[in-house]
Amino acid sequence: MAETVEKTEEMGMIDKAKAFVSTIPYNKIGMKDLTDFEKTPRNNLVAVLTLAFVAMFVVGVAIYLMHGHHAYNVTREHPWGLLIAVYIFFVVSSTGLCIVGSLGDVFGFKDYEMISKRAIFGSIVTILAGFAVIAFEIGHPVTMLIYNVISPGLTSAIWWMGTLYGIYLTFMIIEFVFLLKHDMKNARIFGLTGLLVGLAAHSNLGSVFGFLNARPISNGVFYPTYFILTAFITGIFIAYILMGWRYKLDFPTEAKKMLIGLAKIQGLLISILIFFVTWKMLTDIYGGMPNRSEVAIHILGSWTFWAEVILAMLIPLYIILKDMGKSINAMFWASLAGMVGIFFMRYNLVHDTQLKPLQMMKIKEYQLTPEWIHYFPSMTEIMISLGGLGLCVLLYYIGSKLFNLDADEAH
Amino acid sequence: MARYGMALDYKNCINCKACEVACKEENGVLLGADKHRIWVGSNDVKGEWPLLDIASAAFLPSQCQHCDDAPCQEVCPTHATYYDENNVVRVDPDKCILCSYCMNACPYDARYVDDRTMTVDKCNFCAETRIARGETTTACQNTCPTKVRIFGDLDDPNSEISETLRVREHFTLKTHLGTNPKLFYLT
Ligand code: SF4
Ligand code: SF4
Repeated sequence: MAETVEKTEEMGMIDKAKAFVSTIPYNKIGMKDLTDFEKTPRNNLVAVLTLAFVAMFVVGVAIYLMHGHHAYNVTREHPWGLLIAVYIFFVVSSTGLCIVGSLGDVFGFKDYEMISKRAIFGSIVTILAGFAVIAFEIGHPVTMLIYNVISPGLTSAIWWMGTLYGIYLTFMIIEFVFLLKHDMKNARIFGLTGLLVGLAAHSNLGSVFGFLNARPISNGVFYPTYFILTAFITGIFIAYILMGWRYKLDFPTEAKKMLIGLAKIQGLLISILIFFVTWKMLTDIYGGMPNRSEVAIHILGSWTFWAEVILAMLIPLYIILKDMGKSINAMFWASLAGMVGIFFMRYNLVHDTQLKPLQMMKIKEYQLTPEWIHYFPSMTEIMISLGGLGLCVLLYYIGSKLFNLDADEAH
Repeated sequence: MARYGMALDYKNCINCKACEVACKEENGVLLGADKHRIWVGSNDVKGEWPLLDIASAAFLPSQCQHCDDAPCQEVCPTHATYYDENNVVRVDPDKCILCSYCMNACPYDARYVDDRTMTVDKCNFCAETRIARGETTTACQNTCPTKVRIFGDLDDPNSEISETLRVREHFTLKTHLGTNPKLFYLT
């Protein structure tokens, strides 16, 4: 008797879940709808590039499955390579989009509500792309899923980061569903929780580097806080790209208002970032502390550092300050440049942490005394990384056909 | 049970690298320059002939320090890196996910990837070979022609290593990081 009651209850739950899922509004699409876009040269180029990148992902993964980490240029001294940087790039993007999306639907800034749904969807696809990339960097992803749960290393920043990001993704998906269903109250609850978990996850990612006592260049409070700041900056860059693409740079007044607002925030954030980075560099160099000062000077001499500074900081800031964020079309292009800069920012973070050898003596005959660790990504690493970008764009494109990512009319 | 450590009379080292060979042989470490559990470090001799700085030419054998407060153990997300019953820092290949965090966190560059299991490996004081057989020596110590290495139980006040550390001055590497290494260099 009791069993039947339980069964019916269970059925009830399943039915309820089914009923709930069936009320999520989406468009029925087929292959035809997906290939149905305006065949302008620009669109065609993006389509071809996206498909090429996805193909590279498949090839890269195939090579990785055949050769394992030998397909990568990571070494004993430089165990983290491009894929870690790209993973960070994607999850920073995700956190950033989550922050931008929350402005409207969590914090109630009316001007920013029009991008909430799009940004939250973007945060889902970027983190999925990040997970797709990291799955081929972690040597044993399946073992990870099992032992993360049954043997959790609670003192490990990587454990917290991974676990919190998993929870965050769940909340983002739930929030997105409520946004689609136009249930703003629940969307706000899950949005706020997701945002808090996402921020915690993200600063934990910073602490993965900040906790490295062996690496004075990264060790300390800087990265856990800086990651939140740069996430917000990244979110605004991507918001510009998404909106620019959506309206083909011909923005309606409402979008203009929002983008100008975002540009002003961006101006402030980038200024704070420049301030942060300047002081980080100066404290790193000051006093000539071994393993820190010479590394910082070495970083100042690398072109990737200046790519980061010029593309992600100076160009966007100049364009914003020129007329207080009014040239939103220019900001669209600056945001594209900005994202390239942000990529270098992540690459530098990972590479610079490992620049200095921990073992400074010669251990082989005819070896020169170790000086700096060199690393350049292999073709496979590059293919999987570009593949992540391809997946991200593809998922976003499918999503934009499947769901209505614009703000609902009622607003 | 025990708390194994090693003292190195490093000034006696002649850089013959017999220990490196013995370690590879005993523990089946793969060939290849990157794949080493232990190593002997050397510096270029400073100074110009005939005023050569002989002190700068000392050799420094090294390996995993079996830190009492091991950063590699702290950062491991799955407890793959653990302290065994003899306080030896070990890696469980079944739990290691090859996130490589420990390789980045170890201040001594003591870890590398074993290509057979695709997990992280490092010196384990011959825990799977000699210690498992009930011996209390390590391959490197056993083979060293100039008797650089003294291996033993730090908790046993009568062991040779405890005795030596009581009477001879010694230092540890990167002491300021608070890792509390169990590898001691005798001066
Ligand atoms: S030397 Fe490195 S690998 Fe060995 S216990 Fe210390 S931190 Fe771990
Ligand atoms: S590589 Fe393996 S042993 Fe090292 S931290 Fe990751 S899971 Fe632990």
